[in-house]
Amino acid sequence: MLEVLQNIFTAQNAISGILLGGLFAVLGVGMTIIFGIVKLTNLAHGEFVILGAFCSTLISQALDIDPILTLIITIPLMFIIGMVLQSVLINRVMLQGSEPALLVTFGLSIILQDAMLLLFSADARKMNPSYAQSNISLPGGLYIPVLDLILLIISLVTILVLTLFLRRTYMGRAIRATSDDIVAASLMGVSIKKAYAVAMGIAMATAAVAGLCVGMRWTFYPSSGGEYLLRAFGVVVIGGMGSIPGALVGGLVFGLAQVFGGASYGLLASYVVLIIMLAVRPQGLFSK
Amino acid sequence: MKKAENLSTRQQPIRVLGGLPMLIIGIILVAVLVVLVFVGSSNTRRILTNVFLYCTMACMWNLLSGFTGMTSLGQQTFVGVAGYSMAVMVTTYGMSYIVGWIVGGAIGAVLALVLSLILFRMRGMYFAIATWVIAEALKTWFTSWGFVGKGGGMTVAGRPDRTMVCLLALILCVVAIVLIYFLLNSKIGLGLTAMRDDADAASSVGVNIFRSKLICFVIAGLFCALAGGLYYRYNGTILPGSGFDIEWTVSLVFIVIIGGIGTMAGPIVGTVVYIALDEFLAKYSGWSNIILGLIAILVILFLPDGILGTLQKKLHFEILSQRRFSKE
Amino acid sequence: MSEPILKVEGVQAKYGDFIAVESATLDVPQGMIVSVIGANGAGKSTLMDTIAGVHKPSAGKVYFKGEDITGMPAEKLVTRGLSLVPQGSRCFIRMTVEDNLIMGSYPKSARGKLKESLERVYELFPVLKQKRNDLSGSLSGGQRQMVAIGRALMTNPDCVLFDEISLGLAPTIIKDIYARIKEISAGGMTVVLVEQDTQRAIRTAQLCHIMLKGRVVLSGSSKELTDEEIKKAYFGL
Repeated sequence: MLEVLQNIFTAQNAISGILLGGLFAVLGVGMTIIFGIVKLTNLAHGEFVILGAFCSTLISQALDIDPILTLIITIPLMFIIGMVLQSVLINRVMLQGSEPALLVTFGLSIILQDAMLLLFSADARKMNPSYAQSNISLPGGLYIPVLDLILLIISLVTILVLTLFLRRTYMGRAIRATSDDIVAASLMGVSIKKAYAVAMGIAMATAAVAGLCVGMRWTFYPSSGGEYLLRAFGVVVIGGMGSIPGALVGGLVFGLAQVFGGASYGLLASYVVLIIMLAVRPQGLFSK
Repeated sequence: MKKAENLSTRQQPIRVLGGLPMLIIGIILVAVLVVLVFVGSSNTRRILTNVFLYCTMACMWNLLSGFTGMTSLGQQTFVGVAGYSMAVMVTTYGMSYIVGWIVGGAIGAVLALVLSLILFRMRGMYFAIATWVIAEALKTWFTSWGFVGKGGGMTVAGRPDRTMVCLLALILCVVAIVLIYFLLNSKIGLGLTAMRDDADAASSVGVNIFRSKLICFVIAGLFCALAGGLYYRYNGTILPGSGFDIEWTVSLVFIVIIGGIGTMAGPIVGTVVYIALDEFLAKYSGWSNIILGLIAILVILFLPDGILGTLQKKLHFEILSQRRFSKE
Repeated sequence: MSEPILKVEGVQAKYGDFIAVESATLDVPQGMIVSVIGANGAGKSTLMDTIAGVHKPSAGKVYFKGEDITGMPAEKLVTRGLSLVPQGSRCFIRMTVEDNLIMGSYPKSARGKLKESLERVYELFPVLKQKRNDLSGSLSGGQRQMVAIGRALMTNPDCVLFDEISLGLAPTIIKDIYARIKEISAGGMTVVLVEQDTQRAIRTAQLCHIMLKGRVVLSGSSKELTDEEIKKAYFGL
């Protein structure tokens, strides 16, 4: 028994878990923004991530470029899709209350899932750049997988850029103000619908990044969305709604749960962590 | 929306289609269905079984989401657990499928009771997601659990007596509708409707809301399990990916939205529309969820009360209404 | 008397079936301090929300600088120079004091003057400069009210509506804030003050409107109105 535990809780696993934390954080950050600002549970977020993964895969194949470079195309593309979606559909449904809005995103998720199935077939996909198998050796027989390190850096840069945008720009402040007080924000000249549309665009842009990371790290299918939605939700629950630093911590928890759970129980471990969190502290670890 | 409802109540009295005439119509309808079960072709029987089972579950989802405000995205938990109970009892222990059915139902009800300990600490979207997570966790667990055949799933041994199963499905459906009708017209239903329509008024009715919600959740778990058990006896094979599939809840949500959420007869109308669409769309495989999703979104946008709900408001009638709580 | 900058004609405002403002008519002349007085539930706040575009009127007309602005949303009105300090300050509590103030210069018309406006607000309320990097949620009630006023001034308005800014504040703080409002007015800005305290309103304002049960029942200059008249109008005797 002790030996089994020693095999699981190794330093190497801890390194992997921490590296994966960034990926899970960026997975959750789009969800947390929509939660905190638009006050919407976006059940289609998982499908958005998978859509991002497909876009990156296809573009990198078509142009024969490194998958990471596809972000130049996928981020603006997904941003626009998000803005349009929010402006023409979700803003309208939100007038009817939160439950219809929740069900509309649910409808979107099943539409997207089957649309991707039709467009891209049910085959397993994965992006395999040349550096996917290389490692950086550390003393003591430990090593850092290059791919995981790159994904961590991409995730952290994304979150940093997002944080700076929200803190330093007029639009970023307007979005934060809207999440605090809609009426006061509109008195400052903020168009709430526009703020929501931009927030959804940003969430979609982070989904593009998360999709790239997921598609480089694991194989994915058109039906993989649900799995990543629940993980994104888990990150939100642990970190607290709308909290970006919280998403980082949530990502770390899920990264470690994934690695310590191993190949067969990683997902189950994540779900159990999430259920316990929901039951004990649904408002998140970091909110008052 | 609630204001408008009260307004229309005041402007024009609502004719409630209930009582003796409705009872007679209901009995005739059931009699016709019983005859159809026995004389219909095997394809008719398959479609009817689906109608009865989906209708049962949709009524239960409507009870949860439309009347008690608990939007569950995890009713597949009960379907899957009952399906596996059926398979284990029949195949592993060689029992009759009736035993498997009852055991599945009992496990469903107990599971609902146990899960309520966790779930009733949450509200709204947290509740919704948590129910889904539980189903996904079970799916993941069953995929690696040797006793239930891991990812390969299980087969329910023997040839099912499909006429009998179809008849049981009909009985289940009728019992579910009658039960919900009496439940919503009881003190429990009054309290729940009061809570939905006006949170302040609910406490003044003097109904234990927590207990009422618990009763509804356990009943929904029981009936979804019973429906799931029959479904897998009829179809024979269960996989972790099918038994605990979110697709089950997708269908229920669709049915209830189309029919009219929070109306007594909405799920019945919705089920008929859904099964008809499903049969029709079977020819266009791959497109069915896209079309169903689009229809659902359009209905939410333009007919937020569903088909029956909109008709009821326009024509000022209600089928099998539950008593409404209003301040006047 | 100069041409009114703000004219309200027979405005009605409802919440569902409940009529909060029955029919309100009043003028606000350019450059003056005008107070709107009335008991709790007289419809003062709803009227302010309706003028500022937070709430849509169900009847009547509102004119600002001679233009019809009836039913125009708040985010458009603020760019035209009409600003509201809402009841209960409504600061962005998870943002710093300075970010709150910078939000005030969100309208494109105000962005160019960000630095000057910020300096002016810090001059008016020096305590805000000290606490510029604190979250506004951590401030006292009076300081939050200062943030809300400063934020409204940052929008570079011609006319500001103050909705019960004295509510729940200590008398010394109220006195201080009212002194600042007089300063603001002296700079040429038109001020509308909503108040429950008639004495304070009459002392501060040049013109008074008294509301009762959703109507403006008495209007007149502060000097002309007698205590007896005001009392009658206020309580509907």
